[in-house]
Amino acid sequence: MIKVAIKEITLNKKRTLLSNVDFELEKNSIFTILGLNGSGKSTLIKSLTGLLNPRLYEVNGSVNLDGKNIFSIDYEELLQLRKDKIKYVFQDAVNSFDHLKTLQYYFEKLVKDKNEIDALLEYFLLPKYTELQKLYPYEVSGGMAQRINFVLALLCHPQILILDEPTSGIDLAISNLFLLRLKEFAKEKDNSALLVTHDLVFAKKISNKIAFLSNGKLSRFYSNEEFFSAHDSKTLELFLNAHKQISL
Amino acid sequence: MNELLIAENICYKVEQAGTFQIKKTEKEILKDVSFKLEKGKILGIAGESGSGKTTLAKIISGVVQYSSGKIIFNKSGEWEKIKTSPVQILFQNNGEILNPLRRINDIVEEAIVLRYGNKIDVQKEKEKIFGSLNFPGQLWERKGFELSGGEQQRAALARILAVKPELLILDEPFSAQDPESQLNLLNLFKNINEEFGIAMICIAHNLKILQKLCGNILIMYKGEIVEQGKSEKIFNTPEHPYTKFLLKAESYNLTYQELSFDAANAD
Repeated sequence: MIKVAIKEITLNKKRTLLSNVDFELEKNSIFTILGLNGSGKSTLIKSLTGLLNPRLYEVNGSVNLDGKNIFSIDYEELLQLRKDKIKYVFQDAVNSFDHLKTLQYYFEKLVKDKNEIDALLEYFLLPKYTELQKLYPYEVSGGMAQRINFVLALLCHPQILILDEPTSGIDLAISNLFLLRLKEFAKEKDNSALLVTHDLVFAKKISNKIAFLSNGKLSRFYSNEEFFSAHDSKTLELFLNAHKQISL
Repeated sequence: MNELLIAENICYKVEQAGTFQIKKTEKEILKDVSFKLEKGKILGIAGESGSGKTTLAKIISGVVQYSSGKIIFNKSGEWEKIKTSPVQILFQNNGEILNPLRRINDIVEEAIVLRYGNKIDVQKEKEKIFGSLNFPGQLWERKGFELSGGEQQRAALARILAVKPELLILDEPFSAQDPESQLNLLNLFKNINEEFGIAMICIAHNLKILQKLCGNILIMYKGEIVEQGKSEKIFNTPEHPYTKFLLKAESYNLTYQELSFDAANAD
């Protein structure tokens, strides 16, 4: 279980990007943060495991995972946590890999049980591992790279999965596949997932709870049904209204 | 004649080098694509990646030469006299068509002068173009790199409108945009279409948004048009299994068994 209490994230000690981000990710559930382009969604999720460059960003607050503050554990432990417990699938999937290493490098490094690989690759409609391992990241398409990232994350059996814009720039069928597998993931053990996206249809289908990020402020997490009739803020209303006008 | 563009049986093939470059195989990217676009109308093209949407756009604009078939373009007005293409494309990465170090004002002014010479009131034309795009005066003097993504997109559109094309092709303008930006763009395109009477072809993988913009829609699958017709009809009573698949997929209602669409086994 993860409890986030971030007071403030500032850039260059001047500009405040986010403030008062408080929430607790519940187990066996999927939480989604919606927001406009540039509202700070990606900054928020990167801050959770200290991925923001400390020379540029200052993060005040705490993120507690199973009672331990991630911001104050030593570096070795943090690396281990990023490897085992909290896994990300980033938006820019191709560039999540080092282009000079074949994909084998990542599978060798991260996967504990090699027997699981092929079944999961098949589930994600990817080529067999014997073929895939020889490829360089620039030899696969963006959609494939994103699926490979997802597979790698799942093979680490994390407790928490964090996804940045899982449906952007991806074929509809693959987005549907992500939806199905994520729901399954959230049911297993004590797992939970946190997504940021601006795909409202996806959010509605997948989320247990939804919050809205705008002007550096995160709303509370509403239940799924509650969110789509929320009138608490002007910006959220505009956002929901725009969605209605283009998709109904 | 009311048709601006008639495409008849367009085919596009590429040669793929086989093992050791000896065996060459032909791959058909587009197969027998036929459709019509009336003057001043908006046509939508939907389909997943790899269906040939962007290739078709490139063929229509003359960037890519097709293998066989016929494209008839009924140029009107001033376009009849000049050789240059009356088609403009707004690409996905629209920021890159702007010179980042030039003022938007200069870019657009130059385009107007190149197109019309001194036969036109440049200032008035500029105001009309920027006005229709909601591009405020204080941004005219900015340079490309000083603008946000959305502003760059509108500046790129201003550059395109300056040459008054007869056909504007929009390649995935809505992807990776949040709902508010999508709505703004949708209204912007409708506005351009009404105010300047420019015909448009809009490529997107989202059928819902195409239905809001376009009178007619083509559905493409693996280089072929599998269904075409009025957008309400396609949306409300789709006939081809692939169209049904697309609609179900964009509502995120596919089951795992339905994920890989197979035309042969569908229905």
